[in-house]
Amino acid sequence: MRIVVCVKQVPAVSQVSIDPETKRLKREGVQAALNPFDLYAIEQAVQLKENLGGEAIALSMGPRQAEMSVREAMAMGCDRGVLLCDRAFAGSDTWATSYALAAAVRRLGHVDLILCGKQAVDGDTAQVGPGLAAQLEWPQVTYVSMLMRADGDRLVVNRMHEEGYDEVEVDLPAVLTVVKDLNIPRVPTLRSVLAARRQPVEVWTAAEIGADPACLGLDGSPTRVVRTGPPPPRQAETVRLDGPADEAARRLVHDLRMKSLL
Amino acid sequence: MDRVLANGSSDRGATVQPHHPQRVFHIEILSPRQNAPDLDAGLAALADKYRQIVDAGHVACFTDNPLGNLAFQGTELIQELGLPVRPGQVSIHLNTFHTRRDLDAILDAATNLKIDDILVISGDGSERLPKLRGRDLGIEAETVTSVELVAHLQRTCPGRFRIGVAFNPYEPREHEMEKLRRKLDAGAGAVTTQPIIGQDPSIADLRALGATVIVEAWMSKKLHLLSDCVGYALPADETYDPLENLRTLLRTYDGCGFYLAMLGMKTQFPLLRDIWS
Repeated sequence: MRIVVCVKQVPAVSQVSIDPETKRLKREGVQAALNPFDLYAIEQAVQLKENLGGEAIALSMGPRQAEMSVREAMAMGCDRGVLLCDRAFAGSDTWATSYALAAAVRRLGHVDLILCGKQAVDGDTAQVGPGLAAQLEWPQVTYVSMLMRADGDRLVVNRMHEEGYDEVEVDLPAVLTVVKDLNIPRVPTLRSVLAARRQPVEVWTAAEIGADPACLGLDGSPTRVVRTGPPPPRQAETVRLDGPADEAARRLVHDLRMKSLL
Repeated sequence: MDRVLANGSSDRGATVQPHHPQRVFHIEILSPRQNAPDLDAGLAALADKYRQIVDAGHVACFTDNPLGNLAFQGTELIQELGLPVRPGQVSIHLNTFHTRRDLDAILDAATNLKIDDILVISGDGSERLPKLRGRDLGIEAETVTSVELVAHLQRTCPGRFRIGVAFNPYEPREHEMEKLRRKLDAGAGAVTTQPIIGQDPSIADLRALGATVIVEAWMSKKLHLLSDCVGYALPADETYDPLENLRTLLRTYDGCGFYLAMLGMKTQFPLLRDIWS
């Protein structure tokens, strides 16, 4: 099975802030990290490759330093890494990003499965996975929480929703976006990290993937962020439970149950 | 003079002889984070520090993802960097944030490397680090603490390792002592404290339990960093002198082992040779 896993370098969660002028995330001078949801997609790709044979390819789009996230995926077991890096990609919204990634998948060729984290923690749109499926005209399953089995050119997966899950059969090639319940991402070893550093990351430009410049960057992006604002402040409340410890514990359990937190 | 082993006991009569007949410190080695900007430099510095420690006859103690930061394991660092392991001179921390597969790999590597000393700690954890679950160890408990991990080591590798556990004197005393008793009942034979500044009455309680006690000394002048480690805000002290504190600990707790955290290799390490005299 030939699997592409899409990864994104995002600002470390604790350092996220928004530029009031551009309405965009401030990325300069901010420590970067691999999007946490992508770890589960990487782990699944590597497990599938280990169990079924084939190849797992990490694919990302971003500035040159995004290579670090591609290498992290390679340290977890991806065989190959590709970074789409070109000024033409700058400013792409989720649709233009999906377009570029789809072009890269076409260039890779013979891809059976694309795995994405359910969303990136910087934009929180959850649109690139579905956008990629739309661009490629492939079936998609979002919020995959379990991979039940792989039957030849078909996968059976659980799709999580608020009231439980759906068991879904999907023909390959397909796009899956995955949630944390799917697996436990492995921790790279020193040996695998050092090996990943020695491997080349292929850097592809817009021209090399045959992308139409009009479909990339700001020109190719049908959405605009026109206003951003902070979320409403949380309504924190401190409740003091006085009295004997066992009685306070009973009240705490009762109160938590009444709020459906236990 | 007898050499104090990693578990604080004397090696009088042991078949393994010390390379340097002197008193021994347990010296902490913080392994490089996985996202370190210059990994090569970090690895080279670690190898140099390790060699200095073991060449001087001390015990090199590798941390296990401290503060929940993804770092490399002591066992893989030793293997990949080709570091020599001398009997009784390497100790690894082992916390509860591993998969069962990774835990087994660490224990197998420790066995192959002939590492005898493990300091079991609950660990800090993070989103990125998997937490051992009771079912991973084949026990009914929902969560795995250092108590369950010690019991697991005793069950799966009986007698293979000298097992130490941690004691935090900054936690409420009664609660912490009860936890410690459970750790000792599970099979631990040594106790390493969190850093002690000056004196702490709990050390006498620990010694009364019959376990080997290893007193930790904070070798950085930055006491606010210690607050982050122990989980309680310690009073700021601009005049804190780590070497003087170590001298006090050596005088006060004769017979204990001593664990040095945040030791400066350039300025402090050369002074250790004479500090115990």
